[in-house]
Amino acid sequence: MELIPILNAVINGTVLGTLLSLPILAITMVFGISRFPNAATGDYMTLGAYTAVATQAWIGSSLVLAVVSASVVTALIAVFFYLWVFRALAKRSNVARLIASLGVAFVVRTTITFFAGQDQYNLEMGRIMRAWNWHGIRILPMDVYILLTAIGALGIAFVILHATPLGRRMRAVADNPDLAAASGIRSRRVMLYLWLLSGFFCGLGGVLLAIKAVVVPELGFELLMPMFAAVILGGIGNPIGAVVGSLIFGISQEIATLYVGPSYKIVIAFLVLLVLLLFRPQGLFGRPIMAR
Amino acid sequence: MKTQQPKNTSRRDFLSVGLVLAGASLAPWSLRAAPAGQPFRLGALNSITGVGGPYGVPMLEAIRLAVDEVNAAGGAAGRQLQLFAEDDQTKPDAAVLAAKKLIEVNQVQAVVGIWPSSVGLAVMPITNNAGLIMMNTCGAPEMLTENRKGLAWMFQASNAVFGRAFAEVARQRGFKRPAVMAFNNSTFVGLANYFKETWEKDGGKVSSMVIYEPNQTTYRTELNRVLATNPDVIAMGSYRPDATILLREWYQTGQDCKFIMPGWTANEALVKALGKEVTEGIISISNVAASGNPAYKSFSERFRAKVKHEPDVFAAQSYDMVIALALAIEAAGPTADIAAINGQVKAVTRHGGEKISSFAQGRDLIRAGKAVDYDGASSNLEFGAHGETVPDFGVSEIENGKLVLKETVPGTR
Amino acid sequence: MESYLIAISIGILIYMLMALGLSLHYGFTGLVNFGHVGFFAIGSYTSALLALQGVPIPLAMVGATLLTALAAWPLGIVALRLGSDYLAIVTLGFSESVRMMLQSEEWLTRGMHGLPGIPRMYEGWIPAAQIDLAIMLTLLAVNGAVFWLVTRVVKSPFGRVIEAVRDNEVAVRALGKDPARFKTRSLMLGAGLAGLAGAFQAHYLTFLSPEQFVPLITFYIWIAIFVGGANRLLGVALGTVIMVGFLEGSRFVRDFVGGISEVQMASVRIWVIGMALILIVLYRPQGILGTKAGKST
Repeated sequence: MELIPILNAVINGTVLGTLLSLPILAITMVFGISRFPNAATGDYMTLGAYTAVATQAWIGSSLVLAVVSASVVTALIAVFFYLWVFRALAKRSNVARLIASLGVAFVVRTTITFFAGQDQYNLEMGRIMRAWNWHGIRILPMDVYILLTAIGALGIAFVILHATPLGRRMRAVADNPDLAAASGIRSRRVMLYLWLLSGFFCGLGGVLLAIKAVVVPELGFELLMPMFAAVILGGIGNPIGAVVGSLIFGISQEIATLYVGPSYKIVIAFLVLLVLLLFRPQGLFGRPIMAR
Repeated sequence: MKTQQPKNTSRRDFLSVGLVLAGASLAPWSLRAAPAGQPFRLGALNSITGVGGPYGVPMLEAIRLAVDEVNAAGGAAGRQLQLFAEDDQTKPDAAVLAAKKLIEVNQVQAVVGIWPSSVGLAVMPITNNAGLIMMNTCGAPEMLTENRKGLAWMFQASNAVFGRAFAEVARQRGFKRPAVMAFNNSTFVGLANYFKETWEKDGGKVSSMVIYEPNQTTYRTELNRVLATNPDVIAMGSYRPDATILLREWYQTGQDCKFIMPGWTANEALVKALGKEVTEGIISISNVAASGNPAYKSFSERFRAKVKHEPDVFAAQSYDMVIALALAIEAAGPTADIAAINGQVKAVTRHGGEKISSFAQGRDLIRAGKAVDYDGASSNLEFGAHGETVPDFGVSEIENGKLVLKETVPGTR
Repeated sequence: MESYLIAISIGILIYMLMALGLSLHYGFTGLVNFGHVGFFAIGSYTSALLALQGVPIPLAMVGATLLTALAAWPLGIVALRLGSDYLAIVTLGFSESVRMMLQSEEWLTRGMHGLPGIPRMYEGWIPAAQIDLAIMLTLLAVNGAVFWLVTRVVKSPFGRVIEAVRDNEVAVRALGKDPARFKTRSLMLGAGLAGLAGAFQAHYLTFLSPEQFVPLITFYIWIAIFVGGANRLLGVALGTVIMVGFLEGSRFVRDFVGGISEVQMASVRIWVIGMALILIVLYRPQGILGTKAGKST
């Protein structure tokens, strides 16, 4: 077992895991508060990526501007769909909201492809830089920027969630919805902020992904499953769990690629999840769930 | 209640089917052969959506260009081409329904433009049963063995031929430690295996072979696995999205390595996505005639005018499909049936006739009773016994953002 | 024209078998199974591989159905431990794992190259031009039989227990019955139906490849039972007809509405499905024929 490939895999997995922890955080908060898995998350990410491309094409080639506009636009669209679709479904079952979110996912994606087509787009990033190489351990400058941006966003999120009254209310609802409902916490403001934050993070995650990869219509949808798995791994509704789950998933997948064929790495990730759930059904950080 | 229905449906159906069959046998000619001057109904089954989207859309454009060219010249044997297009979604089950719609509802007499082997293999039995000509760019060797009626024409060299050509190029250029990375689908897994087989048959070993999954955000770990074995060249069976990610990540490692890639990925669109530095020195392998043939020049000019970028080899092949078909119709005459037209496809493209590069040119010569040899925009179109093309391959390198032809390598069966 | 309609009908009827299985899972037992296409895949490949080894098609199909039902058993053991949120993900993981396995185990499935040349149903028994018609009629008969079977199951004591499990698992336990056993049996039954549908697909298309078994198919079936009404069999049938009818019918819309390219048409098609989902969930959640009783969504 050589150390260097493993270390490189860990680094790659960490960058990917931190990047994805943004939309995963969005998923877990929505899951915890609105109690449904938001299948539109992936396509919100795609929306962010395409918005960034459009910004660079029409407004200016600044990458920072593209990142900001991606996040803001996606946040607004997320609020729009909350106001139109999800708010009306508040009293219905999880499956209803899940299916509605699937509909939203389709609508968002196809609206994009109607105008943008199916071919790939690329973000303009200036010159591509070489990695810093330390005895075979490689770190990419772009990855460092992505990491810093993601960590910064996470930091802000955690400050909001832990240090502001609104954030505390959100966590309370996510943690124990029945108690929260009984005490009347679930207010309009909480929900609006939830979706603003959720959309912002999906859009940000999407544009960071676009920086690392390419922009194609399936960009976000393809990641839905691993993201949901990470949410469950970390415990539904738990922000720390989301980040930890995302990192574990990202790193373990990269390490698995070293030893098993790339086809099987997703299978292994699922086996890990399954085994964990059988022993600890609430995930790593979740509260023990009651009999359903 | 449910058990009654099948009986009624079947009785009605048998009756109507029987009537149709009886009617057909009474008609002086079959439904498919048309009297003189009747339009020829052409079906285009393209991968508009799905993995093949980036290729299927330009292919349809190329088909339209060819149809316009033929119709502007008065049609093939006086018959105007009527085009019906459907999307196979790059999936065999959707393709089957699309093909049936084209055949049954639009009554097409040929189906062209099929891109992936999975669709080709699923649709061929259907077109065979209907006695229709089918033209495709599928690379699976099974296309040749399943081509039992000789109605299918493969305009793209099979993966076996491609893989061998890759290995030949690697050997000729003196590489010693090749590695292989391939997108996980039939075409590229096939190409990778044939490359490995050919390379190792002549002695030597492939240092590493990794088949990677589509739609991933990053391929660094897969790439590192390959780079760790220090190859001097990587044969890459990739499409543009994954090639973009892979090459960008490779460049960032700073490790020295060359790349051999198929021409439909290593082209100017890739340069646009990655920039000149990253793509400098990539070896691109394509059917020859891409730049040389007058057919290509005239086609690519019209294509660029309409679509604003260079056509890839699949688009050129799709253009050739329609032109070759039109020439065959011209040669077979206005009252010919599909079997007769099919018989002329080889005749109008075979070596020995007078070389032509456009439909109008060929039509005039055919009407004057001469034999013609259509050298197409995608290759010289010499078809083998099973309807396959074995083109010569042009080896280009990307220099300062442009493809520069360096040498040619013959294809081997 | 007929051959085209027959082809569409066959598509509808194969999907309908799958939908009946899923309705047993969700509509009647309340199991949120997002991996249904995995059972479809197992049935398809099993029947194909058996037939390619020389096993007569009817036997191969029966074998495929049984094997698929058996494959659902371990999944059932998992199901009993997890709530609906988790079950969805785990079943999705199951179907993706099946697909990955089909892609990778080339020695068995030829991987991405697919399996061409699968023996066609009725080949040699019926003149070639009539085979599709015969397949359609067989499917009609099978669907009819399954309708009858599922109706009997639902009206039986077993059926009453699974509906109780769907509505109030705690009560079922209180009555001394083990919900897990019933969930597992329901899962196996529904899986077997999907496996049978898969076997039909194999011997109709005569070509299989792993790309045919993506999660999108599961989503289509979900949409079908949702649109029609998950807990009424007639609703399931109607939903499937509407779903496939729409997907195919949208082809023809382009012939009438000029100005939209093929690429855009593909977007429009899925856009309409998305909007339909949203609107149905908002305004008619029980589906067209579903009853408000049972799993209220």
